[in-house]
Amino acid sequence: MALVVLLLFAGVSEAAGRILPVAVGRPGMSRTRVAGLLCAGGLVEGAVFALWPLTAWTLAELVLSSAPAGDGLAWTPDLVAPLVLAAVLAFPLLGPFLHLLLFVAVGAGLAGPLAAATDLGWWGAAGCVAVAGAGLGIAVEAVRRLVVRISAAEARGAVT
Amino acid sequence: MNAYLLWAFAIGPVLIAEALLARYEVLAYGSGWRTPVTKLPEGVPYARGAAPDSPPDAYLVYLDGIGKRRVRDSRDGGQLVKALIARAPELRVLGQVQPYSPLAAPLAERPVWKWLRHRIGLLLFLHNVMQIFVAADQRYRPLYNRAVGSQISTQLRLAGYRPDSGIPVVLLSYSGGAQVAGGAIDELYSRLRSPLLLITLGGFHNGANDLTRAEHLHRLTSSSDRIERVGTWMFPQRWPLFRGSAWNRADRAGKITVHRLDPATHVGPCSYVSPTAQLPDGRSHLDRTADTVIALIRDRHRVTRVTEVSDHP
Repeated sequence: MALVVLLLFAGVSEAAGRILPVAVGRPGMSRTRVAGLLCAGGLVEGAVFALWPLTAWTLAELVLSSAPAGDGLAWTPDLVAPLVLAAVLAFPLLGPFLHLLLFVAVGAGLAGPLAAATDLGWWGAAGCVAVAGAGLGIAVEAVRRLVVRISAAEARGAVT
Repeated sequence: MNAYLLWAFAIGPVLIAEALLARYEVLAYGSGWRTPVTKLPEGVPYARGAAPDSPPDAYLVYLDGIGKRRVRDSRDGGQLVKALIARAPELRVLGQVQPYSPLAAPLAERPVWKWLRHRIGLLLFLHNVMQIFVAADQRYRPLYNRAVGSQISTQLRLAGYRPDSGIPVVLLSYSGGAQVAGGAIDELYSRLRSPLLLITLGGFHNGANDLTRAEHLHRLTSSSDRIERVGTWMFPQRWPLFRGSAWNRADRAGKITVHRLDPATHVGPCSYVSPTAQLPDGRSHLDRTADTVIALIRDRHRVTRVTEVSDHP
């Protein structure tokens, strides 16, 4: 339960860093709409975070010739907790750098258990975690852009 | 407790909450959820100095540093503003503008912040620092600039300023107020069409705001001012390398003049506004700063008058 709550907080935190700048640029956004966007964005981002260890484990299975002996890679509260700070993205100037640093630290945290459960070694495991994270990041960014484009088209449609 | 958890649940959320709260105010302004405050508290005048019955030589708007939390206060206890009013009775001075609030709502008058001010006063400074960075952030800057420009223009009108009157408006900014002053130029010009003169005192800003509409910017600085220097290092637009930045373009156009106030520091007992730190000529740092500001304004006024006389013989 604690894990789910943490993942949800982390998702909302990440969404807050990304949605507020977009909302600020659009006059007439109601509080309800912004809150709704934050919640929806938080759920999506939280789900993506939840998938990160699973994706890294799947990649490790693909890389290895024989299936790893462990049960899989999963979040633990202390591994996921730093992601609650994902809203550092909203910091001015330093935001993107701090955000990257946070994700590198969390990824390094995931690489340890993955290396222990497989024969990949730490660097190999870190590679799987990094590729999984980057892949998920690209996928969710594509979804974000699509949502922004659709909502912008809707707003234009409402004006005309 | 695990160090990660301590960081995540103790210090981090405070910083993030500050960063998000600072943005929330711009969002509330931009979305129209709240209307900016225009009325001043009972007994606070819209301007001091020259009487409203005849036009002053200039309107001077003082934009304070991060210590500004209420309508009345300023980080130096209002000493600079008082010194300016005492020395230059021809000016109308506005000191109530809230540079760190797009909604023009003084931080220390809000219920939660009032409670925090008596317990963790540092958070109020942190909030104002965040507001400077929000004002400098390219995603929020246009809206922030519009909000504060509109606030200054409203306060000037309430203080008796008439658009198109030709009376100069001087934005005197201290520290982070410089970020806001530079940002307010376009909005002020489009609302009042006033001649605009900028004076920064230990100005901390990112150099991204367009200064085209300003007549001139006088930069009062000192080699002992470390905080201003951090600003010149921190923001790439202030580096000479980025020749196309608004700051460098204004510099090349001859719009920026540097005035040294050595050995004044940014804050502390030797600061620009210290009434106790003495100079070799017997004046205090506060005296020199006030004299310099007034001399710059009077010089500008004299030059304009001479030009007007020669244009209309």
